Amino acid sequence: MRITCPFCGERELGEFTYLGDAKPMRPAPGASEDEVYDYVYLRDNIAGVMDENWYHGGGCRAWLKVTRNTLTHEISAVEPAAGAGARQVAK
Amino acid sequence: MTSFQSNRLADGGLVDRSAPLNFSFDGKSFSGFKGDTLASALVANGVKLVGRSFKYHRPRGILTAGSEEPNALVELRSGARREPNTKATTAELYEGLDAASQNRWPSLDFDVMSVNQLFAPIFVAGFYYKTFMWPAKFWEAIYEPAIRRAAGLGRAAGIADPDHYDKAWAHCDVLIAGSGPTGLAAALAAGRSGARVILCEEDFVLGGRLLADGGMIDGLPAAEWIARTLSELAAMPDVRIMTRTTLFGVYDGGTYGAIERVNDHLPSPPEHQVRQRLWRIVAKRCVVAAGALERPIVFAGNDTPGVMMASAMRSYIARYAAAPARRIALFTNNEDGWRTVETALGAGLQIAAVIDARAEIAPEQRSLASKSGFPVLHGTVSGIDGGKNGVRKISVSLTGGARAEVEADGLAVSGGWNPAVGLTSYHRGRPKWRDDIAAFVPDGAPPGMVAAGAANGAFGLGACLREGFAAGAAAARDAGHGNGSGSTPVADDQAFSLTPLWHVAGKGKAFVDQQHDVTASDIELAQREGFESVEHLKRYTTLGMATDQGKTSNVAGLAIMAAVTGKSIPETGTTIYRPPYVPVAIGAFAGHHRDETFHATRLTPSHHWAAEQGAIFVDTGLWKRAQWYPRAGEKDWLESVTREVKAVRSGVGFCDVSTLGKIDVHGADAGAFLDRVYINTFSNLAVGKARYGLMLREDGIVYDDGTTSRLAEDHYFLTTTTAKAGLVMQHLEFCRQVLFPELDVQLTSVSDQWAQFSIAGPKTRDLLKEIVDSSEDLSNEGFPFMGAREVALRGGVRARLFRISFSGEMAFEISVPARYGEAMARNLMIAGQPFGVTPYGTEALGVMRIEKGHVAGPELSGTTTAADLGLGKMMSTKKDFIGRVMAGREALVAADRQVVVGIKPTDKTRRLRSGAHIIPKGQTPGPDNDQGYITSVCYSPTADQWIGLALVERGRERIGEIVHAHDPLRGEDYDVEICNPVFYDPDGGRQRG
Amino acid sequence: MAEFSWEIRSPLHRALVSGPFGAHGEGGVTLTEIRNFDLVQVMARRGKAAEMASAANAHFGVAVPETPKTAGAAEATLIWSGPDQFFVLSKGGRHQVGSLAPGFAASASLSDQSHARVLIRICGDKARALLAKLSSIDLYPAAFPVGTAAATSMDHTSVTLWRGNDARDGQAVFNVLVFATFAESLWHTMLDSGAEYGVEIGHSEDLA
Repeated sequence: MRITCPFCGERELGEFTYLGDAKPMRPAPGASEDEVYDYVYLRDNIAGVMDENWYHGGGCRAWLKVTRNTLTHEISAVEPAAGAGARQVAK
Repeated sequence: MTSFQSNRLADGGLVDRSAPLNFSFDGKSFSGFKGDTLASALVANGVKLVGRSFKYHRPRGILTAGSEEPNALVELRSGARREPNTKATTAELYEGLDAASQNRWPSLDFDVMSVNQLFAPIFVAGFYYKTFMWPAKFWEAIYEPAIRRAAGLGRAAGIADPDHYDKAWAHCDVLIAGSGPTGLAAALAAGRSGARVILCEEDFVLGGRLLADGGMIDGLPAAEWIARTLSELAAMPDVRIMTRTTLFGVYDGGTYGAIERVNDHLPSPPEHQVRQRLWRIVAKRCVVAAGALERPIVFAGNDTPGVMMASAMRSYIARYAAAPARRIALFTNNEDGWRTVETALGAGLQIAAVIDARAEIAPEQRSLASKSGFPVLHGTVSGIDGGKNGVRKISVSLTGGARAEVEADGLAVSGGWNPAVGLTSYHRGRPKWRDDIAAFVPDGAPPGMVAAGAANGAFGLGACLREGFAAGAAAARDAGHGNGSGSTPVADDQAFSLTPLWHVAGKGKAFVDQQHDVTASDIELAQREGFESVEHLKRYTTLGMATDQGKTSNVAGLAIMAAVTGKSIPETGTTIYRPPYVPVAIGAFAGHHRDETFHATRLTPSHHWAAEQGAIFVDTGLWKRAQWYPRAGEKDWLESVTREVKAVRSGVGFCDVSTLGKIDVHGADAGAFLDRVYINTFSNLAVGKARYGLMLREDGIVYDDGTTSRLAEDHYFLTTTTAKAGLVMQHLEFCRQVLFPELDVQLTSVSDQWAQFSIAGPKTRDLLKEIVDSSEDLSNEGFPFMGAREVALRGGVRARLFRISFSGEMAFEISVPARYGEAMARNLMIAGQPFGVTPYGTEALGVMRIEKGHVAGPELSGTTTAADLGLGKMMSTKKDFIGRVMAGREALVAADRQVVVGIKPTDKTRRLRSGAHIIPKGQTPGPDNDQGYITSVCYSPTADQWIGLALVERGRERIGEIVHAHDPLRGEDYDVEICNPVFYDPDGGRQRG
Repeated sequence: MAEFSWEIRSPLHRALVSGPFGAHGEGGVTLTEIRNFDLVQVMARRGKAAEMASAANAHFGVAVPETPKTAGAAEATLIWSGPDQFFVLSKGGRHQVGSLAPGFAASASLSDQSHARVLIRICGDKARALLAKLSSIDLYPAAFPVGTAAATSMDHTSVTLWRGNDARDGQAVFNVLVFATFAESLWHTMLDSGAEYGVEIGHSEDLA
């Protein structure tokens, strides 16, 4: 598999590390145990297109959101994580 | 003496008669020529019997002339280079080649195991499942060893392969598999457009079927057209032609696997050269011009040596000038088979008869027969009279019911052609059936890949050239190049008519898969037993599961299954195709990664100094770390380690701890960031101070620990454990970029920038005073416990000094830029010489941390909470941090959790071993009363006995209790006392002093 | 008491043996370790990439590379090392953390990497053939022209790779910065991979 890093260009799979579903968002500090439990454990098991977190650890160390079809491995989009590089992010 | 090449034709062929080569087969000497394969040289020497079959040990000959060969497998070379299951049909002949037949004992001619044929009824489909079921205990003792002895083909060398293997990457616009007319035409079109082209050919000569079948292209004989084409391609700098290279797989994103047999054609690779190279080729487009494989017809006795594919017979005669037989019969169901008749006649060989299963035969073929004086029989072959020495007589069932016999010493068989659909099907594309050629053609090829020519079901030479040229041009266009100049090479198309014929019913064994000895009746039996799905059929009968992956057998097997189930072949379907297309040596996948270069190695800055001191190294992840420093006269590691510990506890020692992960954390929000990743607070840490920190996973379990120092308002220096260094960096980047992107934080790994040494023992300060510039105040007031700051060393080098202790002694850690690491070790030895300084390794480090009750890897096991480790009080209640909420779950705060305690044997002389289970005293060990286990142990020189740490249920409430240690793995049972985990200096006076 | 010596030791001090290695004949590949250099990692503060770029421009007089490229400045090479970050490679103490810090105080964090890496220069007829065994990156002349940089991996080891100016004989020159503790291991892999072409091994004390 090859992933086009938005910073480095197309690279081979060996430079990347897979983390998993990019959809769950870490609950705010005041969240209930149930909300945190959902965030930590509950995942959709999608046969099709999903957003995933990948780390370009063998390259520029950017975290990426990769939109991938789990059936065909087709990658339709790759975006940097919100805080990749130094881009300003509102609180 | 080598024997005369009895079956070598007087002239013709692509062998170099001026270059004779000697070789041996089963110890007998022969000669061949440069340009031969082992198979063609055996054919030229009249050798028909080349192996024994897998189950029945039947005599087998050469069936094909390519990588689809099921029978002619040999052990090539001897000693460490012996390679089993090598196809004689692709092994290039070299001087001194040494090959042996397989699966026979004591000899190929007389094979004891051929009695298996008498027991044939028990070797039917599914015999493994039926025969070796019970009693269960017989499996390991009797069945498995017996099966292993009897089955299988060649023998592995059993010793390390002495050759080097290599791996490399290549990139191109257009990748072409195959150099037949289709592949060459594709290369011309793509190359002329300026595209970067890689053409892979598994043979050692380019041309594919043109080499045997010839023809006229652009008005030139095939050989001349090939030469002209190759010289045009050679002039294109971006066209790379790789012979002896098989494209074996296609992977996601346009990545292809290829195996290049760089030096397999030599007895051994020349010095410094590799044997084989595994290529990963990244291609924008791929044209599969892999051609088609001629398929057999299944009939009784079809595995007799001397029965050969018709196209293979042409290859041996035309390409290698070797006659597989003198008097040849042809059994065909199609036009193409007749080419063998023309080739054989052209070489002066006799045609005994043509047995043609078609109703209609073309007039020109009839006139050829009458002109050449051989009969054309309408019908099918129903049996072979022959054996290990070849074919003698062929029984024919004539259309209408009569029978005939043909005397011949060889039978050419053509059942039609199967496009090579492997590569195009490796992403689960299912090939589709075409009735007109009665064959599967590619469908659903992976993105960017297209099949052309015979691989796409176009069998005429003109069609191959047209399809290849068009595919090459389109691929180059898709890869961003314009149209090239020049026009499509032109040739005539041959007629191709075929009447499907898969299996001639009759008496006697009719083989579908010759390599796995699967017969037509096995398939029928499997169907009767309910294995109708092709995937079940394959696994139950093992059809197509041998090293040839059923290249000559799969489609016939499907057709027979279709016939017995009354379905059509497309309804029956194909099994899933998987790479590799040909077997690939594991050595090639490993490349340089074997033995000591199995993985990358990391060396500490003082590594070579430690090696000079005679240190024993231990692999810790990728690192080599000094484990201990033996001295002359010490009888074992324990004696050395004990000396090192005592030296530290009573004087001073040092240890390279550069393997710890080190991360610069910069930014205005660095403190706030660390507050979120650690359970304790770092934003309030004073500049110039260090603090121990603990990280949790989001599920509340401890992730990592380490000391982090604040070097400036906006600069922290964070350390991790050795094991987790890379993972913690990844985790922190995830926190920075994904979880908390609003924070101003920058992370840089400085693990390799600093050589870090732990200096420990009561005389540490004395040693340091010698090495640190005299202006630096190292007193308790000037540099208190947990202080951290930059200092000047004597000689001008700047260092970072941290007053932290892992050993429980008065200790510092000192960091210098890494290229001073070796000098630092030498200087510590010089400075510490008056104080008896002792370098110590990871064992002594471990002993001292256990004595001090510090947790490490065995306790940070991925199951423990901060409270389990006795660090629950570190958890801040004033802030959010990773793992905070989940750490509060009921089960993670339960009163009966297993927590870290100390453990010591009631018998002071007993040795402890980690892994032993803790059981309440007086109870019989079992899962119901298992209360934990011993995690870390050491012999404590300080306590003069073995001590350990353990995770024990409610352990902290049970200090003083005697429990039972049960170690079923080592058969040990003994009593231990639960105690405070801090065995050494529980008040901490020494490290603060 | 014996005197201290603060001798600098390259991580390749022992592994590197100058002279020919592997196949005989014309050296197909030349491997040269450059021993002394200053290397500073510059990373923009949150939201300060533009300020970092102007600070760099003010300091070096060239535009900082914002894509995987290098920029040659007087007495320094700026090498892209990731989004909103770059390396300053220089020699002779001209651009160290201390002297760079004031200019970047408001816009970037600096981290000294001078001892954290080993710098290896690769050139010769077979430089690309050797690198094809180590790197998955396409180094074809048009795909990786002079001044191209990459943060990538070789043999599972993170490296910074860039193509410098061509040698006087017109041959391409590739530079690899590898983590110091991995350097000896990668060095052996390079030699192993280059043996079939013949390797000319050398080292140079200073950056050219």
